[in-house]
Amino acid sequence: MSVLFIHSHYNYYNETNSAMGRQDQANSVLSVRELQLTERHFQEATGLITTTHLDQIGFLRFRDAVEDLLDRGGRWIFNGHVMRPLVDGLRNYVPLPSQRRADLDQIRLHPHPIFAGIDQKALEENRGVAGFYGRGHNPMPEGALAINGIGPEQVAVDWVWARPRGGEILSHAGNEFWGCGDDPALKAELLDRAVKWVEGTLN
Amino acid sequence: MSVLAIHPGTYYHIQSLEHAPFAPYFDALVRPENLGWGELERYDVLFIPCRTPADRILPHRDILQRYLDEGRTIISTGESHSELYLPGVSFTPQPTNWWWWLTPGADLGVRAVNTDHSLFRYLPEQDLTWHLHGWFDAPEGATVLAVNEAGKPILYVDDVSTNGRLIVTSLDPLFHHGSHFMPATTRFLNGFLPWMRDHARRRPPEGEGPQG
Repeated sequence: MSVLFIHSHYNYYNETNSAMGRQDQANSVLSVRELQLTERHFQEATGLITTTHLDQIGFLRFRDAVEDLLDRGGRWIFNGHVMRPLVDGLRNYVPLPSQRRADLDQIRLHPHPIFAGIDQKALEENRGVAGFYGRGHNPMPEGALAINGIGPEQVAVDWVWARPRGGEILSHAGNEFWGCGDDPALKAELLDRAVKWVEGTLN
Repeated sequence: MSVLAIHPGTYYHIQSLEHAPFAPYFDALVRPENLGWGELERYDVLFIPCRTPADRILPHRDILQRYLDEGRTIISTGESHSELYLPGVSFTPQPTNWWWWLTPGADLGVRAVNTDHSLFRYLPEQDLTWHLHGWFDAPEGATVLAVNEAGKPILYVDDVSTNGRLIVTSLDPLFHHGSHFMPATTRFLNGFLPWMRDHARRRPPEGEGPQG
């Protein structure tokens, strides 16, 4: 069992002192610098977490390996805006046409173990400012389930897709969701649940 | 005049570099891993976008130095750790005050300096203001164009450290523009990129005077 975390960004001054860095140190995830990725990392992983800083062009060279990981029943949490056809079924991000405060209201549309018992309103704002969580959506593949909706149309800022060929993708169209809101305990809980869901111990 | 931009491939780089309205300001895009002298020498200006991972540029430090030695221009924008691979760059990070604008009447403190510089015919001072990520010790003789609340440089033009021109800033406009967030960053690029086309090159064509 191993969760592969693709470490895309570069922070010379604060590389390990992050929530995900601590998950890495606790051996909950295998953190690999994007430049060091090989197909073998995907072959040996049972799940995958990527961030808003993913090099989507470079990631395409592992498209078959990612599809294989999913076909084997693996789970992938994707954070950010889809701008390349990373795997079959994903389509490009659509920003909300209007991004005033009322356009950024969120609502839970379907339960999911990562968000169970968590009021979505607690993630809607950082210090009274909305928009960090998301400002649009990655269009859902056919058969996906909307978890959290945003805006007047309640488009799915979060969705989960049980692929017909196997595996699941959870898409969050914004900054890492475990970094949103103002409650440090809630953020830590969300990251812990995210890792557990990807490794298959939270269902 | 031609500009080559590094393309690190995140969604915000794709949105900013490949899509309207800013794609036409770049003549070509190159992946950091494919940056070679044969490609580089065909362009007058190299643009390094904000949040380019430094470990993807570090292997090219020698050809960047050569590029500058030959009189060309490199523009490096924020959160890319240019101090690790560009000559004469000394950077001090500062905590980002994400929330300054929540206080009525607050002022982040960013100011334009040397306001007779050509940049400010394209860009008003207020479009320099969104966040601060850090400041530079600009080399003696460099032209500082913007400073933080303590008067420390956050944007400067360095024609003295090399035969070429270094334009260095800690501002990170592409990240926010490409995230469809923070209109000031889009306005910054609306001014900065046309200025880049008109004035960033140091080496003038034969028969023309120096630019700046």
